[in-house]
Amino acid sequence: MKRFLSFCLLFLSAVSLHAAEWDLPVRAGAISETLAQAADGDTLRLGPGTYTETVVLDKPVILDGQGHATIDGQGQGSVITVTADGVTVKGVTVIGSGSSHDGIDSGIQLKKTAYAPQILNNVVLGNLYGIDIHGAKDALVAGNRIEGRLDHRMNDRGNGVYVWNAPGAIVQGNDIRYGRDGIFVNSSRKNIFRDNIFRELRFAVHFMYANGSTVSDNISIGNDLGYAIMFTKNVEVIGNVSIDDREHGIAFNYTNSSDIRDNYVRSAQQKCAFLYNSHKNDFSGNWFESCDIGIHFTGSDKNRIVGNSFVANRTQVKLVTTKWYEWSEDGEGNYYSDNAAYDVNGDGIADAPYRPNDSMDHVLWTQPSAKLLLGSPAVQLVRWSQSAFPALLPGGVIDSHPLMTPVTPDASGKVSHDG
Amino acid sequence: MTDETKKGLSMTRRGVLGTAATGAIAATAGVGSTMLGATQAKAAGKFALEPGELDEYYGFWSSGQTGELRILGVPSMRELMRVPVFNRCSATGWGQTNESLKILTENLLPETKEFLAANGKVTYDNGDLHHPHMSFTDGTYDGRFLFMNDKANTRVARVRCDVMKCDKIIEIPNAHDIHGLRPQKYPRTGYVFANGEHEAPLVNDGKILDDPSQYVNIFTAIDGDTMEIAWQVIVSGNLDNTDCDYQGNYAFSTSYNSEMGVNLSEMTENETDHVVVFDLKAIEAAVEAGNYQELKGVKVVDGRKDSGLNVTKYIPIPNSPHGVNACPDKKHIMINGKLSPTVSVIDVTKLPDVFGGADPRSAIVAEPQLGLGPLHTAFDNRGNAYTTLFLDSQVVKWDIAKAIEAYGGADVDPIVDKVDVQYQPGHNSTSMGETAEADGKWLISMNKFSKDRFLNVGPLKPENEQLIDISGDKMKVVHDGPTFAEPHDSIIVHRSKVTPAETWQRNDPTWADARAQAEADGVDLDDYQDTIIRDGNKVRVYMSSQAPSFSIEQFTVKQGDEVTVIVTNLDDIDDLTHGFCMANFGVAMEIGPQATSSVTFVAERPGVHWYYCQWFCHALHMEMRGRMLVEPRNG
Repeated sequence: MKRFLSFCLLFLSAVSLHAAEWDLPVRAGAISETLAQAADGDTLRLGPGTYTETVVLDKPVILDGQGHATIDGQGQGSVITVTADGVTVKGVTVIGSGSSHDGIDSGIQLKKTAYAPQILNNVVLGNLYGIDIHGAKDALVAGNRIEGRLDHRMNDRGNGVYVWNAPGAIVQGNDIRYGRDGIFVNSSRKNIFRDNIFRELRFAVHFMYANGSTVSDNISIGNDLGYAIMFTKNVEVIGNVSIDDREHGIAFNYTNSSDIRDNYVRSAQQKCAFLYNSHKNDFSGNWFESCDIGIHFTGSDKNRIVGNSFVANRTQVKLVTTKWYEWSEDGEGNYYSDNAAYDVNGDGIADAPYRPNDSMDHVLWTQPSAKLLLGSPAVQLVRWSQSAFPALLPGGVIDSHPLMTPVTPDASGKVSHDG
Repeated sequence: MTDETKKGLSMTRRGVLGTAATGAIAATAGVGSTMLGATQAKAAGKFALEPGELDEYYGFWSSGQTGELRILGVPSMRELMRVPVFNRCSATGWGQTNESLKILTENLLPETKEFLAANGKVTYDNGDLHHPHMSFTDGTYDGRFLFMNDKANTRVARVRCDVMKCDKIIEIPNAHDIHGLRPQKYPRTGYVFANGEHEAPLVNDGKILDDPSQYVNIFTAIDGDTMEIAWQVIVSGNLDNTDCDYQGNYAFSTSYNSEMGVNLSEMTENETDHVVVFDLKAIEAAVEAGNYQELKGVKVVDGRKDSGLNVTKYIPIPNSPHGVNACPDKKHIMINGKLSPTVSVIDVTKLPDVFGGADPRSAIVAEPQLGLGPLHTAFDNRGNAYTTLFLDSQVVKWDIAKAIEAYGGADVDPIVDKVDVQYQPGHNSTSMGETAEADGKWLISMNKFSKDRFLNVGPLKPENEQLIDISGDKMKVVHDGPTFAEPHDSIIVHRSKVTPAETWQRNDPTWADARAQAEADGVDLDDYQDTIIRDGNKVRVYMSSQAPSFSIEQFTVKQGDEVTVIVTNLDDIDDLTHGFCMANFGVAMEIGPQATSSVTFVAERPGVHWYYCQWFCHALHMEMRGRMLVEPRNG
């Protein structure tokens, strides 16, 4: 039969005694047919063009689109489904998944039975879900460009990367836009989400019950919300950027015993940071600038909050509590752009404690010219009155050693500055 | 410092506690906003009532794992009464008196009675009461009954609103762990719908154990008049909360475990779960046609996805939905997304088409994105919905019509207002908001944590029920109310709907058994009585109580006698409750004005024992006591 002759079979002893490389003609069904004949460890190289089929990778093979092949699922189910261990999919453009949320129709779906799949440098366009790591342990999803859908109804869209119960998954260096959430994680653990860029999504990273995970060095621009980390402990949220996110930059809800450091948040319309019912975290070295609220901090205890910079937020610190919190440690606190303080001895620490959740910030934000008055008798009178007459109801933040200059996290270098 | 400045400072701190709004300092400093002078929107009325002022609403509150029903006054949030239901109550003798034990045990399954006996009990003494709901007639409360679930021991109870006492408790066979519960709204209650939340084999006798593929969940319809089970439906997926329409056609139950998983990972595997829609008339027809199996005396209809009976439809809902709330517009049902930041709105007029074969999602007419963790929705009478956002710890007010427009493609924002609540709300309820007579005055946000809102009372802290004035454009939190473990849900009922009695009627069926025994013993239970009946080793002591004395000042029994004390309170004055407490016998009960209560114990302790009235009744209350003399067995 001629169609079999068209397959070119090469033995590459350098790679493995048994691994073969198959060059596939551009034809519907070619991938499935070749896969049926391929042995474990073989490479399936796709030609330039579009393969209109859905593929189930049920043995450990390498599917290589070489950057010029497209697989089009034509609107039925998931385009590529990985069920076997040790599968690699790379250089493929994946389009045309179905639209069923029940089936989580995806560009590439990694099933529970697939151990350590590698999904590298693919272009995943317009599928309901981009890449669904559905129980596959130790998956690597890296260097992919994932663009979802723009249905009017947000719930009709799917997530860029969907992670369920996939311990050890690494999602790194992907460029994700459109669709619902960039990375949605539910009931997983020990995952790494690193160096991804998220644009025009609902949440960049939406995280529920994923203990021991890392979210680092990501960039979120213009999403509804940057990083929503919820009901999780022992996570590292380090060095991420949020710019122009519509609600909050970083939001933590019942996130405990975690490191939240060196993140850079600018111009979230509501809250740069929302720390809600979150405890025992190291919350340090973060930059919060030009948000309606710098940090909304409530119901949260035993956090270490030092070395952060609160810059020109309408309300720098919103606190709902009747307890007192000290926001400095070993003589160093945080920086507040509205702190009209002196540093007579020049040690970089203001000479007077600061209570950042008083109301002056509101004035400064709405009336920038009021900053000129910071040293004025009227403002000083108010400041003095606050220390002289403790408010009727207790509770608030005291920073006994506020910093005189802000500390810019390295993450700020990831994005351009407008001055 | 001037007084004005001090006032300003205190205002500031209040502002910080409630909202981010701070204006007083700005005003003092001479720059900035004018919030201090802002006029308040019109209020629903004052919430802080003067001594002696009565509330406009009854609030019927659950108590979760305490197992009782509570009655609060709304808006004052004063706790008025606790009605023991599934719990053992020291004050009233609930769970000890013969009358309460009859209610607690008469509808237990035989195997449950055996199980309890093996554990040295005659009834359960704990419950987990989540959802109290009043009976309806024509879409609004009719003041007859309150119905409530017990998640802990799979029961449903009824409280009579004339005396505010529980009169029926039934165990639900075949189901496991009743969670959601709602009464039929139209034409009347009618049915009481109850969801079995947890999954188990249909016949759970131990033959099937670790095989979740054979587990099912059961939806139960109870006849609210007879408290007998009308029918049950087997469903696919588990069942969480439930509500029904205003037409008497459909009931709705959410499922967060459509996967039928048995651990957290498995339960969250699906991207979409569903709401089950039950076609009540189709179920009745299936029962009529004999399309059921009978299990433990109950007609059980198969409503699973592959059943073919067309008695249920499964509408996909994103991510673990939770609350179900029927809108007073009689048209829309809100399915609250929990892990999805959306509420899915069902239009009940589209359901006949769905049962006719249309795409189940075609019944969804809006799905607004409201915030994180939407759990429950309440309503006013102006087309707004109020949804609790557990994760955001807020209540969001949204315009239902705009949400529908937005779903249709219009560029409108349905969100009207958001208010912070302290902390993390679960259920909410508005004044008359679960009826067609929603009046849009008050909202209760039932917050799961109080944290620092009250004086610290140790590691275990109260919940926090916050009262919110919703009569204006902006919601305003006006009161914090601490409550003990752990109210889940409440309803706010206008006081005109409820007319409880001042005293009991002598012909009340509660003590029918005691009356029958008294008649057999030749005792007139309705008059002064001081009769002691000896029947072998059984002794029945009939006494009446009138402040400040029991009609019997002493009686003598033998050690080991089974003694039943029947006390009738002949006082007919408002609020003159008596008690009967047998010291050192662990025996105590309440006897309301014109009521009869009885208690049975074995007089195993020889000697002199005083009984006394433990509900304060009179200036000579301390003197209201008598002696039980117990002769030693070998004396």
